[in-house]
Amino acid sequence: MGSSSSRLDRVPGAKDLMEETGFSETNILCLYDRFEVLDREERGYLRLEDFEAIQQLAVNPIGDRIIGAFVFPGRETLDFPSFVRVLAHFRPTDTTWSRSGSQPEPANSRTRKLRFAFSLYDQDGDGKISRAELTEMLQAMLGMQVTDEQLQSIVGRAIQEADLDRDGAISFDEFKKMAASGQTGLKSVSSIMYRTKQQQQQQQYICGEGGTEQVHLKHSCQTLMFIFC
Amino acid sequence: MDALVLCLLLSAYPLGCPGLTPPAQLPQPHNLPPAPGSNGSHRSLSVDLPMALRVFSVDYHHVQAPFEIVLWIMLASLAKLGFHWSGRVPAVVPESCLLIMVGLLVGGVIYGVRHSAPPTLSAEAFFLFLLPPIVLDAGYFLPGRLFFENLGTILWYAVLGTLWNVLGIGVSLYGVCLLAHSSLGDVSLLHCLLFGSLIAAVDPVAVLSVFQEMHVNEQLHILVFGESLLNDAVTVVLYKLFESFLRLPSVSGLDVLLGGCRVVVVGLGGLFVGLFFGLVAALTSRFTSRAQVIAPLFVFLYSYLSYLTSEMLHLSGIMAIVTCAVTMKQYVEANVSERSNTSIQYFLKMWSSVSETLIFIFLGVSTIQDVHMWSWPFVCSTLLLCLVWRATGVLLLTAVVNKLRRNAVTFRDQFIIAYGGLRGAICFSLVFLIDDFPKKRLFITTTIVVILFTVFVQGMTIKPLVELLDVKRKKRALPTVSEEIHSRLIDHLLAGIEDVVGYWGQHYWKDKFEQFNKKYLRRFLIREERQARSSILRVYQELERREQRGDEEAPPLVDPRSNSRPLLPEEMDSIRRILSRNLHNFNKRQTPAYSRHTLHQDATMDRTRKPLHRHQSLGDRYTYNTITHWPQVEDVEFNGSHKLRAGLSRSHTVCSISPRHVLQDTSAPVSTAQTAPADPRSSSATADQVSPQHQTPGGRGPKKQLSFDLESEKK
Repeated sequence: MGSSSSRLDRVPGAKDLMEETGFSETNILCLYDRFEVLDREERGYLRLEDFEAIQQLAVNPIGDRIIGAFVFPGRETLDFPSFVRVLAHFRPTDTTWSRSGSQPEPANSRTRKLRFAFSLYDQDGDGKISRAELTEMLQAMLGMQVTDEQLQSIVGRAIQEADLDRDGAISFDEFKKMAASGQTGLKSVSSIMYRTKQQQQQQQYICGEGGTEQVHLKHSCQTLMFIFC
Repeated sequence: MDALVLCLLLSAYPLGCPGLTPPAQLPQPHNLPPAPGSNGSHRSLSVDLPMALRVFSVDYHHVQAPFEIVLWIMLASLAKLGFHWSGRVPAVVPESCLLIMVGLLVGGVIYGVRHSAPPTLSAEAFFLFLLPPIVLDAGYFLPGRLFFENLGTILWYAVLGTLWNVLGIGVSLYGVCLLAHSSLGDVSLLHCLLFGSLIAAVDPVAVLSVFQEMHVNEQLHILVFGESLLNDAVTVVLYKLFESFLRLPSVSGLDVLLGGCRVVVVGLGGLFVGLFFGLVAALTSRFTSRAQVIAPLFVFLYSYLSYLTSEMLHLSGIMAIVTCAVTMKQYVEANVSERSNTSIQYFLKMWSSVSETLIFIFLGVSTIQDVHMWSWPFVCSTLLLCLVWRATGVLLLTAVVNKLRRNAVTFRDQFIIAYGGLRGAICFSLVFLIDDFPKKRLFITTTIVVILFTVFVQGMTIKPLVELLDVKRKKRALPTVSEEIHSRLIDHLLAGIEDVVGYWGQHYWKDKFEQFNKKYLRRFLIREERQARSSILRVYQELERREQRGDEEAPPLVDPRSNSRPLLPEEMDSIRRILSRNLHNFNKRQTPAYSRHTLHQDATMDRTRKPLHRHQSLGDRYTYNTITHWPQVEDVEFNGSHKLRAGLSRSHTVCSISPRHVLQDTSAPVSTAQTAPADPRSSSATADQVSPQHQTPGGRGPKKQLSFDLESEKK
């Protein structure tokens, strides 16, 4: 569409981003619009405060960890390409991509997705989920609901089940195995695709023609398909 | 068992039933003469001379009406008892079939003895007395979260599906009538449409009675069940519409349009009536603390009132009563005492059970009549068309709705939805209400045949078919703790990313409602001190209960070395409940099929009474949503935990059984193995009782799911 390609020029480095992450033109545009909404002071980059201003994220138990995945302590700011790159993890997995290809592993491969989840647990980045980290995560998720004994009991069980080499911590491989087995939320979560796909199609229609009205609507950008596996 | 039933049958036969009105529309009105037995009222056995005082007399006439009603109910209940004792039969034949057969037997006996038609179910008695308890029970125990999540699909099936069926069956039947012009020539299109409207409706009573014995996955269950509840609005409106069209000299396009508006008005009207009464009931229950014994009464009175009001206004009574029940449930449960809660639930189950049994028995009895008119083409084509139209309707609608849903309705589910569309007593009553016309008897006969066919054939074969098709049952294999944690993490992660990207998801409206609920409704409708239950309170109660139970039973000793054994179901149960309390769960939760005969919180209810009354005054604490309150909450929590320690030490010193040593070093893996077994029973007790009040952040936690967890794990 003629109009959208001119709009695409607004987005810096859009073409490279599209190639790198596999997002479609519409997706990039909508993400850019959302980026602009979040970037209230129009600095061109996002900061911690912008993320913290997202209301619902504040009540999310792991909200701070999610923000940490975007804006980690080393970096002060988050520009648009980095924003998109993080979100690229959440695209549906391409079944056509094969490991033996020469391209680097795309962000939405299963392993990368699991890595992303792993990094939410593993805050200190040592490659293992220690007991303390798991406890912290559970505490965040459960809040003040449980006594310490119950918490420890749960953590103990979890480590016991997943820790195959009995070193008291869960490594990435053990994590992968655990996520692969059984009927965890990973598979059923894929059902979100159906809804978001529909909304994406709706959004495509809107995005295609003068999408400035979206910026006025607060939560109007619904494009990404979120499959985790 | 059979002898018992037969005895009752024989005792029932001499009694006529003038209490139940015979169908007035029958061409040969069978005004039931007072049965031979009642003549005894005019004679009285006397010991003395006729003029002296009578020492012993029988005056049956005095008590006739209530006596007979009670006897019918007694017959129904004893039959039900008998079935549950009869071994393998209930596994194969659903209860509804057995009850109809008993009804047929009784009807046959009565007919054989008196050579006239047995009493039949009057439409009034059915709609005013027998149907409301069933629907109220269904509405009260409706799994709320699941229902609202699937509401779009349910409405889709209920409204569009019913319309499709009605129009399809009506028009095709008219075609059949045209083809068989010789015998069916005088059945007009409107008559066919009228007939279509009453025969197309799926009946909640029949559906429930069959599905409750099957364990299908809960999504499927709620789809069929929800559809059968909601299509009442469409059915009744269409029925009344076509009936009024029949009375009009001619039908114009405007009338059809108005009819369409009526559907909307009836449905929404019923909804609002129900909402109104539900809120008033909730408000009333707030003030029942001083007269707890009559608290359950308000629930029933207001619900019934909503039903009657909407019937008076010609709105949808079923919608009203379901809405009323759903609305008032959470507030009433928070306001009334535990015993009242139990009473409410038990009475609901009891009444709905009796109602259902009576309905089926009378379906059987009413089948034995003089007034059948048979027509092979009509009956067979009706049967066929019902099946065909329902199947195609479900297929088409599902194809469309699957694009919009997150969990697709699989082909197997569709088959069960189509096949599980049972017809029941609503059709039967509606057909009797038709204005008289030459072919009315044919309609009655056909309706009876369709009902019997669906209940017997479809009802009996659905279970083997389900097994054959391997409908996605509730998963018996329980995920491990780490999987649970991980899946919750993913849920939160996705919700967070959705927020970052600005994607609403389905939580948006739910969150909005929860906020509104918390801010206004709960404050207004729930008693002051009940407004939020602290989790500390809950844990404390748990410990209290553990202490009490320690006096009654000894929990099994756990081998301290076996901390790597597989988890017991109860432990997983408690852990899962702890996890799910706070966390939104996209997964298909495991819930038991809705059951008319059991309460899920059975095992735990009586244990929870004592501690609860003692500790109502413990401080309130809000969870996540009101993060700003945390500073002042700290000290409450501290006090709470202080009491916690006190409670712990009590249990520590009082009993010497090792699983109780909760105060020991909790980081040692040994103690965790020991505390875990004691946890589940107590926490399961608390969760069920307190779950209704617990507000989870942003409405993300499944509130009602908790009470079902126990049952699913135990099974």
